[in-house]
Amino acid sequence: MITKDREFYGIYADPLEKTQQDLLQEIHIILNKLTTDPEQAPAEHIRSRIKSSDSIREKLTLHGLEATPLNGLTELSDAIGLRIVTHFVGDVYLILIEIENHENWQIMTVKDYISTPKPNGYRSLHVIVQIPFCFGELEHLNIEIQLRTIAMDCWASLEHQLKYKKNIRDTRLIVDELKRCSDEMASTDLTMQTIRDMIRSN
Amino acid sequence: MKILYAEDEKQLSMAVTEILKLEGYEVDAVYDGQEAWDMLRTNYYDAAVLDIMMPKMDGMEVLSKLRASENYVPVLMLTAKSAIDDKIDGLSLGADDYLSKPFAMKEMIARLNSMIRRTMSYKHKVLKHSNITLDCDTSELKTEDGSLRLSTKESELLALFIKQNKPFSAEKINELLWNKQQSESTVVLYISYLRNKLSQIHSLVNIFQTDDGYAMEATD
Repeated sequence: MITKDREFYGIYADPLEKTQQDLLQEIHIILNKLTTDPEQAPAEHIRSRIKSSDSIREKLTLHGLEATPLNGLTELSDAIGLRIVTHFVGDVYLILIEIENHENWQIMTVKDYISTPKPNGYRSLHVIVQIPFCFGELEHLNIEIQLRTIAMDCWASLEHQLKYKKNIRDTRLIVDELKRCSDEMASTDLTMQTIRDMIRSN
Repeated sequence: MKILYAEDEKQLSMAVTEILKLEGYEVDAVYDGQEAWDMLRTNYYDAAVLDIMMPKMDGMEVLSKLRASENYVPVLMLTAKSAIDDKIDGLSLGADDYLSKPFAMKEMIARLNSMIRRTMSYKHKVLKHSNITLDCDTSELKTEDGSLRLSTKESELLALFIKQNKPFSAEKINELLWNKQQSESTVVLYISYLRNKLSQIHSLVNIFQTDDGYAMEATD
């Protein structure tokens, strides 16, 4: 955590970092349950972040709430965010089942933007999970886990660049092409999944 | 060429249907507007012939429902001889041509052929079936809930099922799409690709293996 964020979170900074590390460990345990063969590993990589103070302030203000660290932890669901990137689209759902079965976690919401993509072509599965977080007056913390394939991850990073860069020429063309690209990648994801199923059923 | 023929006079319908069949058309004959709308909504046709005066729903209403649902199947309206207003209304609602009753069969066949020829270029680009739309130019497959881009072969395969809406054996598909140059496993794999992609976009129809081969059917 950078100094600015550490100052914002104050007494919550250390427990948040500890929880982030524990979560990553839990996710690795879950993934190892699915397979220990590195060739078959469902997750290509996992990233995690603690939401920056700027981002927390912006979101709380947007919701008309006071920008305090406690509000950031109780009113938002992504102070801690995890992203699990898989090779195949089927693995997203296998991991989701394991997350749902975790004894200390409670699923708050599942938003499946793979099954129903956003109009711009965004595809991912977002899960809000309530985890134990015994610190001060808190007992729980909501965190967000995003699951997507490498192709969807690649697409999202490109779309992110479009969103945050100002004054781009030919925006309409880029938006249309991004949508087409997302549809092609999703199609290829399914083709690969079908081939993998065929190989496995042999 | 598959035609939907909606005409409530059964004698006339039977006679015209027989002649169209002799001319090589595949004909589905229905006897009221509701039936016509149900068939057009759920099946692919190369053209539709709609009588204006029909029970349950008249030809004009069927036509306007079709166009409102972005279905651009070529439509030939059958009007009474003197009814100029019917002709104008039909054309402005999106009919492609009209024919006054009574008509000579030769003229009907000539008009159908010319209408199909004219609309061929557009018709073959965008196919609609159940809740799915396939753009054959771009291979974009979509429903209201999602879209995907198919490969060229997948698109051709799906177009085959939408246009003909009958069962095909793996052997027949291999012949039509690959000139028998592929193995049957290739056909099976491409069917699997399509199956998974149709279900991903929440299609209400999918390809199933039936006793007569692979066929497009409603999902449960």
